[in-house]
Amino acid sequence: MSDNTHSTGQPGKEDHEEAVLKDDAEYRQQHETLKRQQAEDRERAGVPPEPKVGVYICRCGGNISDVVDVERVAQVVGMVPGVTVSKVHTFMCSDPGQHTISNDILEQGLDRVVVASCSPFLHEQTFRGAVSRGNLNPYLYEHVNIREQGSWAHKHDPEGATKLAIQMITAAVGKLHNAQPLELIKLPNHRKALVIGGGIAGMKAAAELAARGIQVILVENSERLGGRLNDLGRIYPSETLAGDLVNDLVRQVRNNPKIDILLNSKVTAVDGFIGNFKTVIEGPFGPGGGFDKRDIVVGAIIMATGYRPYVPRDGEFLYRQDRCVVTTPEYIQMMQSMDPKAKHLEYNGRTIRSVAFLHCVGSRQLDGIHEPQPDGTLNTYCSRTCCSTILHQAVALRKRFPQVQVYDFHRDIRTYGRGEEEYYTEASKAGVVFFRYNGEEPLQVERTPGASARQSNSRKQGPITITVKDMLTWGEEIAVPVDMVVLGVGMMPSHIEDLVESIKLPTGEDHFLQEVHPKLRPVEVSVNGVLIAGTAQAPMNIQETLNAAGAAAVKAAAMFAHEMVELNPFVASVDASLCCGEGLCVTQCDYEGALQLVEKEVDGQMVQRAEVNAGLCVGCGACVAVCPHRAMELNGWRLDQFEAMVDGLMAETPHADCEPQLVNLG
Amino acid sequence: MTTSANGNNTYRPDAIIVGAGIAGMQSALDLADQGLQVLLVEKDSSIGGHMISLAKVYPTLDCASCITAPKMSASAHHDNIRIMVNTEVRGIRSVRGSHFVKLFKKATYVNFDKCIGCRLCEYACDSEYPDPFEMGLGAKRAISVPFTNAIPQKAVLDPELCTTCGSCARVCPTDAIEYDQQSEEVEIETDAVVVASGFALNSLGVKSQYHALQNKNIMTALTMERLLAPHGPYGRVLRPSDGKVPSSVAFVLCAGSRDASIGVPYCSRVCCMYAIKQAMLLSGALPIADITIYYMDIRAFGKGYEQFYQNAKAMGINFVRGKVARIDPIEDGDLSLHVESTEEAENILQEHRHDLVVLAQGMVPEWNPSISTPVAVASDGFVATPSLTAPTSTSADGIFVAGVASGPKDIVDTIAEAGAAAMQVSRYLYQKRAAATPEYALGPALVG
Repeated sequence: MSDNTHSTGQPGKEDHEEAVLKDDAEYRQQHETLKRQQAEDRERAGVPPEPKVGVYICRCGGNISDVVDVERVAQVVGMVPGVTVSKVHTFMCSDPGQHTISNDILEQGLDRVVVASCSPFLHEQTFRGAVSRGNLNPYLYEHVNIREQGSWAHKHDPEGATKLAIQMITAAVGKLHNAQPLELIKLPNHRKALVIGGGIAGMKAAAELAARGIQVILVENSERLGGRLNDLGRIYPSETLAGDLVNDLVRQVRNNPKIDILLNSKVTAVDGFIGNFKTVIEGPFGPGGGFDKRDIVVGAIIMATGYRPYVPRDGEFLYRQDRCVVTTPEYIQMMQSMDPKAKHLEYNGRTIRSVAFLHCVGSRQLDGIHEPQPDGTLNTYCSRTCCSTILHQAVALRKRFPQVQVYDFHRDIRTYGRGEEEYYTEASKAGVVFFRYNGEEPLQVERTPGASARQSNSRKQGPITITVKDMLTWGEEIAVPVDMVVLGVGMMPSHIEDLVESIKLPTGEDHFLQEVHPKLRPVEVSVNGVLIAGTAQAPMNIQETLNAAGAAAVKAAAMFAHEMVELNPFVASVDASLCCGEGLCVTQCDYEGALQLVEKEVDGQMVQRAEVNAGLCVGCGACVAVCPHRAMELNGWRLDQFEAMVDGLMAETPHADCEPQLVNLG
Repeated sequence: MTTSANGNNTYRPDAIIVGAGIAGMQSALDLADQGLQVLLVEKDSSIGGHMISLAKVYPTLDCASCITAPKMSASAHHDNIRIMVNTEVRGIRSVRGSHFVKLFKKATYVNFDKCIGCRLCEYACDSEYPDPFEMGLGAKRAISVPFTNAIPQKAVLDPELCTTCGSCARVCPTDAIEYDQQSEEVEIETDAVVVASGFALNSLGVKSQYHALQNKNIMTALTMERLLAPHGPYGRVLRPSDGKVPSSVAFVLCAGSRDASIGVPYCSRVCCMYAIKQAMLLSGALPIADITIYYMDIRAFGKGYEQFYQNAKAMGINFVRGKVARIDPIEDGDLSLHVESTEEAENILQEHRHDLVVLAQGMVPEWNPSISTPVAVASDGFVATPSLTAPTSTSADGIFVAGVASGPKDIVDTIAEAGAAAMQVSRYLYQKRAAATPEYALGPALVG
C-alpha cells in the first residue's frame, strides 16, 4: 500500500484545505531531485542511461482478468529486458490505479510506462495524464489494448488471449526502448466558432458562446432562423407557442454584435484543423445581395444541422394514395391554419368525425417486417418524440372537437420526459381510445370496402379501415373505420452528405452524426474541433436539444479559453542531413500544404529540402514509406520503433522459472 | 479536520457545485476547463455518486467504473477544482448577486491531512456492519475507506458504529484518528451555484402488496448492480437469503413510478433500460436462468436503445406485458408474482414463481433545496426550471441545476445537461464581470 504514502498535503496550510485533494508540489520536487541524482550517478559511473519500464496490467474489474491470466502476464513481462516494475490492478483508470503509476515513476525512477487495458480510445489520454503527474514526458507511454483486442475478442480462448497479451506488451516495451520525448504542437487558436444550422440548437449554441464573449458565425441555409420549430404551434410540455421560444432565441442572437448571422448561406468547403479551420461560405454577400463566396477562418465548428421528418413511401399506410392520410407535420400545419372559430374539424371539404394516430411510422422498423428504404436501410431506432407529440395532439383535438372520435395505435407509449406522462393520463381521461399491437404483427391500413372518399361524407363509416391485433383486449382482431389517419413520423438526419464528405464526419448506422463516446465525449466527433448540437446526432425533444447545444457550446468555450491549440505530436519530421530534395514524399502527400519543398542553404549552396507543416500533417506516414533515404520519420512511430516492436513480437517468451518481479496490488 | 474555518475568506470559488455525482463532476470539469475555480461539495465520503456503484452501463455495456473513475480522477487532479467530501449544504443566502453557501462539514474523526489511506485502522477494527456501498450485502468496519475506487482514499469513522475501543488509533502510523473531532459549519461566498444533488430511490415498501421489506429476495436495481459488479459483495450473483444461485429472476418495472397511488405519477425514465441491461448481464452470468421482465411499456427511446431492446429479445429474455398486482412469499424463499396479462385471453390472471425479484423503484429527489435556498421545486418535488430556452436555469438568479435534480434522466442525458449547466454558469459569470469590467468584453478569458 505504499502507493498512498505521498497523498497528503501540509496540515493547516490553507483554509478549507483539509478536505480538499490536491496534487503535491512537494512530491514532484522530491522526484526532480531523485531523477537528477540518478542521472548524475550514471554519468559519474560512465553508464549509458538504460530505460526503466513500468508495465501495468488492468483487470478491468473482470472484463480482462476473467479471460486473460493477468497475474501470469505480469510475471512473464516482468522478465522482459528493461521492465523494472510489472503490476496488476483491478481498475488502472481509477485514482488509486493512476496514482500507482505516478508514484512508481517518482519512487522507482521509471522513465517509460506501458498500460495494458482497454482501447486507447477510452483511456490513452487518462494514462498520459498520470504519466505527466509523475513528471515524465507523456509520450514515453504506450497503451496496449488487451480488452477489445484481447479478452473480448478471444473470450473462448483464455490461453491464446493470455499469450497475445504478453506479446503485445513485449512489443510495446520494445517500441518504448526507442521512444523519444515529444511535445504537443502549439498553434494559434482562432477564437471564433462556426455554427452550421439556424434552428434552436444552432441559435442556442451561438447565443451561449456570444454571451460568453466568443465570436460566432451562424450559417442558415434558409431565409429564416428557427428551423423546424417554425412549423409548430403549441409545444409540449410547456404548452407555450413554439414561436415564443424561437423569438426568444432570435432576440438573443440578433441583438448580439458578436454573432454574424448569414441567412440563405451554406458552408461549401472546410479545410484545416482544430483552432484553424478554413471554411468557404456561399451566400448573398455580393453587391446588391448577389451570390458570392466568403473565406472565413474559425477555431471550432458546431454542427447543428438538425433533422428532417421521415417521409412515408407512396402507398405506405395509403400515404399519397388517399388524401385522408397525412403525416404529423402536415396535420400540425393543417390545425395551425384552421379557422379558430371552426365548429367542426374539416379537411378536404369533408367533416372529419374520427381520427386515428399511428405511432412509429418510419421508426423502430424491424428486419423482415418493414420494407427498407430505397438505399436498403431500416430505421431501427426510436424517434423519441413521436409518442408525446401524438398524445399532445390527441388531447388538444379531443378538447377542441369533443365530437371527434380519436384512436391511438401504438406498440409502446414512451412518454418518458418530465411533464409528458401527464398527456397519456389526460388522453385516457379525454376518451382517446388506445390500441396496442406487437411490432411483429403490424397493423393494416386499407380503404374501407365499398367506401370512397366522396361517398364517405354521407355514410357513417370512415373511408379508411385500420385492422389491428389488439393486445389490450388479449389479441382480438379489431377493424376500426376512420375518416382520417395521422402518421406519427419519425426523425431522420438532414441531408448533409456534402458536409459529411468535406469535413470527414463519422456517421452511425442510423446515418446520424456519430459521437466519439456517448458518455466520455458525447458532443465531440472523431474530427477534433468539430462538435455536434441537437438532432444532427439523434432524435431529441426541444429541451434535450437545448441541453445538447449548451453541452457543445461549453466544449467550444473551454477550447477557446486557451490562446493556443494543442495538437498531438504524431506528425512527420524530416532529417535534413538525409534529405536529398527529390520530392517523392511531396508527390505522395494527400494533405495540401502538409509537406512541401523549400529552398535552403546547405554548404553555401541553395538546395531543395522537404519541410513539414505540423498543423496540416495528419501523420499518415505515406511520405515515410516512399522516402528512399529514410529521411522521413513519423514522430512517435519511428521506423526503429517498428523494428523493435517486431522484435518484441517475435521474441521467445521468457521462461517462467526465473525470479519474477511481481507485485500484486489486489 | 482539525483546522477550523477561522474567518479567513481568501478562498472564494467562482462556482460551487452541490453534489459530486456524474452531473456535478461533469459541470465542474466543464467549468474548470475554462479557467474557473470550482468547489465541488459532496455529502458522502467519496465523490462518484450512484454511478460509481453500477456494474455496467447501457447501451455500450462499458463497465461503469471505466467511465466514472477517470472523471473522478480528473476532478480530483484538476488545478481549478477543489473537493469537499462529508459536507452538506445547509443553506444558500443570496445577497446582491453573491451566494453565501452554508456548508456543514461532518466530523469524520480522522484528520484528512494526516491520513494516508493505508487502511491499517480498517484492518485493526474488529467490528462488522452491513456495508452501505454494497447495499448492505457486504460487511464494513466502523472505520474504513469507503470503497476501493473512492476519492479521497481517506478513512472515515462512523460514530454510530464505533465502540471507541482505541484499536484504530493504536495502529495509525500518522496519528490521524481524532475521537474528539467536531463537525463544523463554514460559509463560502461564490458567484454561481449548480444544484446537482441527484436522486434517491423510493422505498421498497412503497407498495405494501409486494411485501418487499420483509423479503431479502426482493431487491432494488441498485442492489442488483452490486451483485452484478465483478468486484461486488459476493463476486457472483447469489440470492441474499440463502446464497442459492438463482434460476429464475423477475424484473418488475414501474414498481415505484407511473403510479398515482404512491405519489409518483411520472416515469422514472431509466428503469426499462437498466432492467434490460441487467437481464442481459444476468443471462451472461447465469446462462441457464430464466429471466422475465414484467412491464407496461418498454421505453427504449435513446440513441441505440431500441436496438439494445431488440437484442435482449433475441437473446431469449422474456418480456411479459402486465402489471404485477401482488408478490407473495412462498416456500424455499421463492416468490409468487400475480400478474394480469393483457396478451393471453385464455390466461388473464397468471401466477409466476421466481426465486429472485428486482423491483424498479421510482427516482425521487435526494434533496429539497426549497427549504433552505432560494431555489423553488415543482409539484413533482424536483427543481423547477421555468425558463423556456434555458432548461438548466432555476427560479433563482445565478443558481442552476443539472442532472436528476431537475427530473429523472439517464447518464447520457445527465452528462449533456451538466455541460449545458456549466455553459449557463460561465455565460452568467462572463456577463456579470463584463458589466463590471469593460475589458472583459474583449476576449474569451474568464479567470476567477
